[in-house]
Amino acid sequence: MVTTIIEAIELRKSYGTHEAVKGIDFWVAEGSICAFLGQNGAGKSSTIKMLLGMTHPSGGSGAIFGHRIDRESDSLLIRQKTAFVAEDKRLYDYMTVEEIIHFTRSFFPTWDSAFERELLQRFDLPRKRKIRQLSKGMRTKLALLLGFARGSHLLILDEPTEGLDPVAIEDVLQIVVSLAAQGRTIFFSSHQIAEVEQIADRVLMINRGEIVLDASMDEVKQEYRHIQAVFPEPVEARDFQLPGIESLQLNGRVASLAVSHNLASITEHVRVMRANSIDVLPLSLKEIFLEKVKARP
Amino acid sequence: MMMLFYKAWVETRARFLLGLCAVALVCTFYLQQHAWLVQMWTGELRNPHGFHAPWMYTAIHEYGWYLWHFLYENYLQQVWSLFAVMFAFGGLIREKTIGSAHFSLGLPVSRRRWLVSRLSVAVLESVALSLFAVVYVAVGSRVIHQPFPSGEMIMHALLMVAAGIVLIAFGNFCYSLFPGSYLSLLITLVLLGVPYLLLQLYMQNMRDAGRSTWLGAFDIAHAMAGPWQLTWTTTPWLALCGASGLAILFFAVAAVHGDRLDY
Repeated sequence: MVTTIIEAIELRKSYGTHEAVKGIDFWVAEGSICAFLGQNGAGKSSTIKMLLGMTHPSGGSGAIFGHRIDRESDSLLIRQKTAFVAEDKRLYDYMTVEEIIHFTRSFFPTWDSAFERELLQRFDLPRKRKIRQLSKGMRTKLALLLGFARGSHLLILDEPTEGLDPVAIEDVLQIVVSLAAQGRTIFFSSHQIAEVEQIADRVLMINRGEIVLDASMDEVKQEYRHIQAVFPEPVEARDFQLPGIESLQLNGRVASLAVSHNLASITEHVRVMRANSIDVLPLSLKEIFLEKVKARP
Repeated sequence: MMMLFYKAWVETRARFLLGLCAVALVCTFYLQQHAWLVQMWTGELRNPHGFHAPWMYTAIHEYGWYLWHFLYENYLQQVWSLFAVMFAFGGLIREKTIGSAHFSLGLPVSRRRWLVSRLSVAVLESVALSLFAVVYVAVGSRVIHQPFPSGEMIMHALLMVAAGIVLIAFGNFCYSLFPGSYLSLLITLVLLGVPYLLLQLYMQNMRDAGRSTWLGAFDIAHAMAGPWQLTWTTTPWLALCGASGLAILFFAVAAVHGDRLDY
């Protein structure tokens, strides 16, 4: 039986008249690596901040480990079991690396000191240096260390690799995968689609405050297809009103379709329309993302 | 909780050290100038055309009154108030501006706990600052060979803190309402400092003239100074209760407001 770690029901957040999150529903299973994809301003950070009690939902509900996100007492329990790495990675500039580790460690009885030492070495972090003297990459690594070493069951990482060089990104992704292999649940936001494809086993896509894709990576790889068909005569959009067609581009006699499901029926439909040629190709996550973003102007 | 105190202390220790220097400076001035001032006032009183004020006789003959008037009723109190308000500056709302609030709020610590730790350190630093002044003046009094009324001075220091907590509370309240970087500190100092100083001056003149006014109810400076000879019966209990009530109100409003904020 799959245990749900994060659950959001009709979760919404408005800032004045602007609705940043428009009643989203999703859940994250225990032990999974769930990627939260979206453009800047799509609602990723607002959702994460609501999950951690940093902002108050305007509507709907949510729970982590069964604790309600909108209750301060529950939120404390959530944060005891959750490691959070914020998007901006801003820490206390006046502390040294060693001091902030000591400070953070005191709040987590499950702190993994051996892992902390390993990460200090792996990330090559200078213990005695003040945080204000660290480069952006170093600060990101330190923020990640402070999250990873908490020994938490759930890690919520907001843009975890932003500001890192490719070697460090690879290192971080490997750590994330190894933590998931130990049974930890990872929920991370990103707009680095290659990273998501590399490590995620589930993908949530958010666009303009709405969930536009919630599927496992296997489902995405198996079901999402690009169909290109060439017809003897020009075709019209009304000929392609079938469930499963996410987007359609017509260029005279050529039709390009992005398909999310119902592939067999759609292919058969195109064949019935007497297409001269039909090419069915896999869609990359990047293409799906672009289709989803374009599809909802 | 200890680490929260530690964090608040690290963030405010520069201000605290600056506060110690300022207090030492004010106290040194009035200790060092005591003999000269007494000589000057004596000369003025002897001169029929000189400046004669009713308090000068007491200031010459009562060293305790001299300390109370110049330190606890005026300049030490003003310096202490300035730094007490500055000690309260900071916390989650300021962290929101400088960007570390998300890290802090990601820790398993409630917003109320952040606030309490922050304000506790501010109050402790304010108490320490007032006690430092007592010790400094005690040592300085020995150096200038004057009898130091230790009991009275400690009582005045405690009264100054007890009534002055409302300033810390008001400062914290203002920082909550006007989140920002140093602008909020500036707004708070202006909002608090201008009426405090004007009212203090006005009410001292009124008292010297033997008059009273309803504005006296808002004279926090007088409540902090108390009367010269402070005893159980002369302690301004009503003013203390009023200040404490206001402080609790300001703390409560700031806490509720802080709970509702989005970061």
